[in-house]
Amino acid sequence: MSRRIFAAAAALLTFATCAAVAQVPYNRIVQAGNTPQDWLTYSGNYNSERYSPLTQINRNNVSQLRPAWMYQLKKPGVFETTPIVADGVMYITEPPSTVAALDVKTGRPLWRWTPQIPDNVIVIGSPPVNRGVAILDDTVFAGSIAGHLAALDAKSGVLRWDVAVDDNRKGYYLTLAPLALDGKVVVGVSGAEAGIRGFIAAYDAKTGKQLWRTYTIPGPGEPGRESWGKDSANIGGSSSWLTGSYDPTLNTLYWMTGNPGPDYDGDVRPGDNLYSCSVLALDPNTGKIKWHFQFTPHDVHDWDSNQIPVLFDDTINGRPRKLLAVANRNAFYYVIDRETGEFITGQPYAKQTWATALDAKGRPILKTGNEPTIDGKEVWPNLQGSANWYSPSYSPQTKLFYQFTREMSSIYYKGQAQYTTGLPYTAGGGTAVDGDNAYAAIRALDGTSGKLRWEFKLLEPGMDGVMSTAGGLVFGGTEEGNFFALDAMNGKPLWDMQLGGPIHANPMSFGVDGKQYVAIPAGWTLYVFALP
Amino acid sequence: MNRNNFLIFLAAAMFGFTGVAAAQTFTPPGDGKKLFDGLCQDCHGANGVGDEAPALNHTLAADDAALRKIIRDGIPERGMPRVRRMTEPEVEVLAAYVRSLGAGRNVTVAGNADKGHALYQRFDCASCHVVDGAGGTFGPDLSKVGQRRSPAWLRQAVTDPGKLGTKGMQGILQNGFTEYLPVSVVEKNGSEVRGFRVNEDSFTIQLRDAQGKLYSFRKADVTNIDKQAGRSLMPSYKDRLSAGDTDDLVAWLYSLGRAK
Repeated sequence: MSRRIFAAAAALLTFATCAAVAQVPYNRIVQAGNTPQDWLTYSGNYNSERYSPLTQINRNNVSQLRPAWMYQLKKPGVFETTPIVADGVMYITEPPSTVAALDVKTGRPLWRWTPQIPDNVIVIGSPPVNRGVAILDDTVFAGSIAGHLAALDAKSGVLRWDVAVDDNRKGYYLTLAPLALDGKVVVGVSGAEAGIRGFIAAYDAKTGKQLWRTYTIPGPGEPGRESWGKDSANIGGSSSWLTGSYDPTLNTLYWMTGNPGPDYDGDVRPGDNLYSCSVLALDPNTGKIKWHFQFTPHDVHDWDSNQIPVLFDDTINGRPRKLLAVANRNAFYYVIDRETGEFITGQPYAKQTWATALDAKGRPILKTGNEPTIDGKEVWPNLQGSANWYSPSYSPQTKLFYQFTREMSSIYYKGQAQYTTGLPYTAGGGTAVDGDNAYAAIRALDGTSGKLRWEFKLLEPGMDGVMSTAGGLVFGGTEEGNFFALDAMNGKPLWDMQLGGPIHANPMSFGVDGKQYVAIPAGWTLYVFALP
Repeated sequence: MNRNNFLIFLAAAMFGFTGVAAAQTFTPPGDGKKLFDGLCQDCHGANGVGDEAPALNHTLAADDAALRKIIRDGIPERGMPRVRRMTEPEVEVLAAYVRSLGAGRNVTVAGNADKGHALYQRFDCASCHVVDGAGGTFGPDLSKVGQRRSPAWLRQAVTDPGKLGTKGMQGILQNGFTEYLPVSVVEKNGSEVRGFRVNEDSFTIQLRDAQGKLYSFRKADVTNIDKQAGRSLMPSYKDRLSAGDTDDLVAWLYSLGRAK
């Protein structure tokens, strides 16, 4: 074969391969359980269960788990990504906003893409992080701390389009993994500590055109605007900085919202401050709010409700119900009817000192005297909450809801409420009562009732998500760098390894060539484990 | 219109606030003290006389800008956290208050440092502590302890060390964990190991005993782990030193690492 003919044949082969490479159409994400070797959304599926149906690694053999490969960041930073895996390729983000595609068998990079981030980028309220990408068809979507959303060709990393979601000079930035639906990609924004007005927005996946934007604070004349007093709504925060969940049957998108601003001085924003610290049920075609449920009305402790809303179904009192469950940063576990927004049950899953209980509609009955003060007021839970952005897991096998639970208080301070564009607008802050005064635990709650089934204690409250698997396991991490597996039925520890750096991320699992892998970032390294 | 009021006026003008944001104005020095009492005195002592963290009666910051930076950002590498985010007017009034503490108010120490040094030698403190590179390493290095701790804190370290619950010397455990925490571990064979905690994670703990031997245990492999908060492996010298001796020893310790 001449060299030229060989080249032509090779080109044909390559072309044929291109055409044959499976893409990730919407229906494949809806049916994510049919391809358990892949991990197609931030939380694994639209229900946000963070549950892997793979069983090769299980309670009988997990003690043999060992590293398969590692990938190191090129630049140090807080590494919070959840990898997406599709068709033999892993897509991760590196802090602050780089996207990388890796060969899932070896960890060797296939491409990397870094957006332009101005030197004077404004990131107020969190470290400059990114939690991952979304994939749809042949495109990968990623937000940036510059406040942009980019669409990249999944095979090459070439930029298809890039849009400014909002103005970073006003404090808007993106840290979340977008959520891809049918033909569109949905994002929320960070920036409530800088006096933004939060919103959720959908973009056309092909063109980047904004399809809708729904503000999380009602506009003038809209219902709920009156819950802000006279003048505070336009800088009231209520950000939307964590990936939501989606029910394709009900065609409803569920998105959680963050704290009202300024965080610690509620005097300037009298009222419930809708829709801060809430879950919104949205029509994904229009962005219209179908219903809302507010967890912490008039929050003054920075208890964002930016946690993962987990969707599952169960029968309650003989009646099949479609449920949405949240282990909230405010220390209460909530179960809500996701068709109607009706509150079903709620109770504390961690120590809290601010409410006596939830009333029949799920509204907290407040204790008095827990507001921040100039010289400090100690309240449970901690400023970072009993839960935070890191993921819980729900196992359809055990019907348990697994939650890394932080048992810690804070001293909350009230400060000066002063808004200046692009500067912090928090009016106070908090200090953690940490060290030997605090601890953490993996808690397994009955998903439907919220009752504690078991717990496994850990040293230190961290930012560590969990994943359950059909192999009967719960994987989790610690602030101190332990990565471990528990028996999903009873919390018995089955395996652990010290990874040498704090884990601020969520585990995920995938398969390739008949082998199951588990991945977790720790320190500045992505670790991937498998059986020998 | 001072700067603070101007900024609030600006915010009010921009957003049509009518006395909402102006509900809290901060003016030195009284509000600086309020902020200090809330945010700083737990570590730096009432009126900044020092406690676990240094006294603020001398200038550690090179200039006003450096002082504001410390107040704004903390010194994380030396164990001082940023307690909370502050507005610039808040930083200004707090810095003004801290500066007022430094105005010629020296912490006086009653004892005689040379006599204290002799006591340090007589009680063989160097069997556990290092000063200027010499001594045992079971206890903390005291070479610069006068920079970091106040005389009152040092007095307590000598007379009632268990009450200190020290944080921030070793820098290994971090995140507010008590350092040199006495721990007793009972192994499955019934034998007990006592030492101070060097490090710990959710699955393991590392101790060093009085002989300097390092132990590393998996928590699942031992019968009991007793963390003895409120106690210290250092004996109290309360009954072995006269009041004058204690003053002398504190004077010597307080001189360590400080300009003579």
